[in-house]
Amino acid sequence: MSYENKIMQLKKMLGGKKEKVEQKPIFKKPAHPSYLCEWMKCGLTPVENDFGIVLKREVNYPLDYKHGLYHLGAFYDAIEKWEKSNVNHPFAISFDEELLFFDTETTGLRGVGTQIFLIGLLKATDDGFRLTQYVLADPENEAALLFESKFWQKPKTILTYNGKSFDWPQLESRWVLHQKYLPKLREHRQVDLLHSTKRIWNKTMDKMKLTSVEEEKLGFKRQGDIPGFLAPIIYADAIKSGNAETLIKVLYHNEWDLLSLITLYIHSTELLMDIRLEESATTLTNVGKWYGDLKYREESEYYLQTVTDQFDNSKSGLAYFYLAFEQKRKGQYREAATSFENALSNLEIRKQIKVNEQLAIIYEHQFKLFEQAIEYTLNGLKLIENALFYNTNQKEKLKLQWEKRLHRLENKLVFPKG
Amino acid sequence: MQLNKRKSVDELIQSWKNDQEFKNNILHMETIKAKPAQFAPFPNDLHISIKKALVDRGIEQLYTHQRQAFDYAISGQSFTAVTPTASGKSLCYHLPVLQRILEDSSSRAIYLFPTKALAQDQKSDLNNLIESMGEEILSYTYDGDTSPAIRQKIRKAGHIVMTNPDMLHSGILPHHTKWVSLFENLKYIIIDELHTYKGVFGSHVAHVIRRLKRICEFYGSNPIFICTSATIKNPKELAEKLTNTTHQLIADSGAPVGKKTFLFYNPPIVHPTFGVRRSSVLEVRDLATNLYKAGIQTIVFAKSRVRVEMLVTYLKELTKRKIHDESIRGYRGGYLPTERRAIEKGLRDGSIQIVVSTNALELGVDIGQLQACIMTGYPGNIASAWQQAGRAGRRQDSALIIYVAGATALDQYVVNNPKYLLGSSPEEALINPENILILMEHLKCASFELPFSMTDTYGEYEVQELLAFLEEEGVLIKTSSNWHWMSDRFPAHEISLRSAAQENVVIIDWSIPGSTKVIGEMDTYSAMTLLHEEAIYLHQGLQYQVEKLDWEEKKAFVREVDVDYFTDANLAVELKVLSEDKSKFFHSATLSYGDVSLLAIPTIFKKIRFNSHENIGSGKIHIPPLEMHTNSTWLSFDLPENWSEEMLTDALTGAAYAVGSFIPLFIQCDRKDLSVVPQVKSIHNEKPTLFIYDSYPGGIGLSEKVYDILDSILVESIEHVAACACENGCPSCIGAQDNLLNGKDKVIKILSLLLDEMK
Repeated sequence: MSYENKIMQLKKMLGGKKEKVEQKPIFKKPAHPSYLCEWMKCGLTPVENDFGIVLKREVNYPLDYKHGLYHLGAFYDAIEKWEKSNVNHPFAISFDEELLFFDTETTGLRGVGTQIFLIGLLKATDDGFRLTQYVLADPENEAALLFESKFWQKPKTILTYNGKSFDWPQLESRWVLHQKYLPKLREHRQVDLLHSTKRIWNKTMDKMKLTSVEEEKLGFKRQGDIPGFLAPIIYADAIKSGNAETLIKVLYHNEWDLLSLITLYIHSTELLMDIRLEESATTLTNVGKWYGDLKYREESEYYLQTVTDQFDNSKSGLAYFYLAFEQKRKGQYREAATSFENALSNLEIRKQIKVNEQLAIIYEHQFKLFEQAIEYTLNGLKLIENALFYNTNQKEKLKLQWEKRLHRLENKLVFPKG
Repeated sequence: MQLNKRKSVDELIQSWKNDQEFKNNILHMETIKAKPAQFAPFPNDLHISIKKALVDRGIEQLYTHQRQAFDYAISGQSFTAVTPTASGKSLCYHLPVLQRILEDSSSRAIYLFPTKALAQDQKSDLNNLIESMGEEILSYTYDGDTSPAIRQKIRKAGHIVMTNPDMLHSGILPHHTKWVSLFENLKYIIIDELHTYKGVFGSHVAHVIRRLKRICEFYGSNPIFICTSATIKNPKELAEKLTNTTHQLIADSGAPVGKKTFLFYNPPIVHPTFGVRRSSVLEVRDLATNLYKAGIQTIVFAKSRVRVEMLVTYLKELTKRKIHDESIRGYRGGYLPTERRAIEKGLRDGSIQIVVSTNALELGVDIGQLQACIMTGYPGNIASAWQQAGRAGRRQDSALIIYVAGATALDQYVVNNPKYLLGSSPEEALINPENILILMEHLKCASFELPFSMTDTYGEYEVQELLAFLEEEGVLIKTSSNWHWMSDRFPAHEISLRSAAQENVVIIDWSIPGSTKVIGEMDTYSAMTLLHEEAIYLHQGLQYQVEKLDWEEKKAFVREVDVDYFTDANLAVELKVLSEDKSKFFHSATLSYGDVSLLAIPTIFKKIRFNSHENIGSGKIHIPPLEMHTNSTWLSFDLPENWSEEMLTDALTGAAYAVGSFIPLFIQCDRKDLSVVPQVKSIHNEKPTLFIYDSYPGGIGLSEKVYDILDSILVESIEHVAACACENGCPSCIGAQDNLLNGKDKVIKILSLLLDEMK
């Protein structure tokens, strides 16, 4: 140790008033629940660690295991696609990351009284995939369950469905309750497939529930699934009665959730990487918009243009709308104006107002065609006048703005140089 | 014009003294002398930045109570400071809190205000102070309005979190794992406006604090409590019961007090037989007009929102010729925050000359100090009265406080007994955390927040048996060593701290199709006799008929009518004594306290013609009986010699009315919190009995207090009834009488008999 280092060490001791080295209190290991044997009969294996006991179920799947439309092995093709592309998409993952699909079942929806009673983990192995489910033996053995999740070990990439705002914060919350004893919980990279699903299938599905996505997009229909909202009652019953038969059904439910996450990732990647013609105009437009928001202009235009090329105008209003802004940004005013005009009659009213405004601007400032600009301004004004979603105040303000434009244009028409 | 000449407060009082007619209405005038400030130097170790900020504000030394507060806090003692309005109470807690954060920036504090609005008011005050200190201290309000975007930041980094009990109860405690840095480092819990935590609300909050302390213990912190309170009789006891922690008391304020003149004003009698006086609202209008013309900045307190609006409308006549004149304003709950801020500012800079307010301005909203205060009637307790009076009085100026009595028994009592307000000690504020219904609800919340072990207690309570009960209920499960919450319910959402279990019935006027509006509300108990179908309901002097009563949804639909009768309903009240916990035996009477079961059964109503009082019809009331278990004190006695049961019925009814009116004089509670019911032949012992019970299921400890002081209440009641100016009884003493002659005598006789027994 260098001299400076030694001095620095000494300094630490000087200011040690606050930094008392806290002795970790001694953990008292809880007793085994009385129904342990009963539960084991249902196919659960006990795992004992320093914090108590937890029950485990493990399932291995080969690469050619088929879940809905896909073989699980296609997951590797999906990663390879991202590796080969030069797009740094937030959805992308690479072979360098240690990947883990993660899903929990809980005894409620929020608050400290809600416990995690099942942690499901799914990861790649040398020759396939392995599901490991840990079941809370009883609320007393919670630290054992948390410890066994290994989330305190090295950083990983965790793939979830709504995990960013539900499963992970729940886990953090439970961890806090045992922070005196457990090793510190690590930060991990989170990829939330609910987020990507919302972006891709916005306005094409009523519900973004995973089971709906499975049925509509992934070609998987569950048989004998128990609805998620029953899970809390089933767990409570299992520890009160000591009978875990129904509880196993919750484990199947969790297993399907996790398997579907793999195929959902595969399916979403294909959509983001290739044009899949069976997808609707809305979906492709969503993808184009997403790329646009991420500033991948080329990819964005590619998707949007595919929509405008392959679908008729009644379906491609939005695609034209976003495309037009791209074109305008690049200074392609002719193309932009044409796109806006194509979009116009196939959009909701708010966007129609916006398009009329854009067209008025382009015609006034780029083309100097004031008559057309006036026409678009009048169209816009009419839409504002008839719109139902503005309150009186907003409406008056907007109208004032637009009338100002109208006056200016009328002046320009009469005195072109003025 | 002579009338509009500006006058000082003293000049105005002088001119009134010379006005014969006016003088007759003033029953009493009292002047309280000015008191100079008492100062103490800054503490030696007060942080330099705090010192600088204080000096910047022109504060060179502290008031003695502020210094005492600082010393207690620094030595680690929880304390309660009794602080009158405008005595710089917030420095009592700001200084130690800021000092602690400057010494150790990981320190945290919670400021608890009874309402969201008060927290937001105090935030700007505190932020100004922090700004002039030039230090990085983060203080935030955390309530329903806090945007989700900054919630995360507040949880992790907020030094001072300003919130209200409701938010603490359902928004913070059940999510304590998100507040680790707050709970691990919590040094101070500030409870401002302590005196507002009484009755049911206070009992709930006492549990919220116990839950808070339990969570602090889990995270290893042991915060100090600092409470500030208006003048009540038992600040230390209330603070200790609320926080379950021993408190020091700072009772003397070092802040200066200006000269104050109190006028006790009784409106003149306009109808001698019935003892009817001129309306107090009209009197207040005239008094306020006088003050306005004299250029004296005035606050007028009225008891209800409606009265505020009436007075504002009357007074605005004064300014209606002036365009954009905003010098007369109303202020009450229900105004938008921006509007309220504007009014507060107008009061501080003097652009508003008269403000008419409900008790919303009693609490610590900063409006500066005004010159005069008019109280329209007695606000219900001495503490509130002094809070209101405290709004008037600038440092050097003379202040004027006018109390204008209304027709109620309490109002009349106070105007006739000024000593009561000026001399006697204020009421006690009572809470009863032992109320088993309240306790169980919070025990559920506490179990949700952290599991109980097999040996744990909760606050000062043994709860193992109660936990076993919750296990039977199916919300807890018992493991090898703990009781764990096991349910997808969220118990904090099942309790509201404010509303007692009783719901109110909303009164909806549907006279005009398409513009139905809510015109009022009423507690369920009163609604049984006043809002049954076909009842004539009087509101603001208008008659409405109840056309439909939706008892399930607690809605009464009424239509405006013009008829020449009113309705009178009978309610049969059955009171069963369940257990007798305490008794005192007298010669031929017994005073007891215990649990009772109450069954209220509405029976029939009569339609009675005005003036002639003839019965012109009747009908059945279709409302299910209301059952409630509560605490009660009761006085049973033998039927006095020479009294028939009929005689006793009327006399006891009058006596119950009189006694009921006076209870709020002795206990800080609302008139509605206690009920007094006479029974000529009670079920449990077949004797004439007067029951005084808590109107809230499970009881809140009020009637137990009555058990100890019933004799004093009887003394006051007798004196007041005897002194009332009416001939045969009126709403100011024994209630309106329609057929009974010498009713007053009989009431006094029976009350005296009872009092003699108890001596």
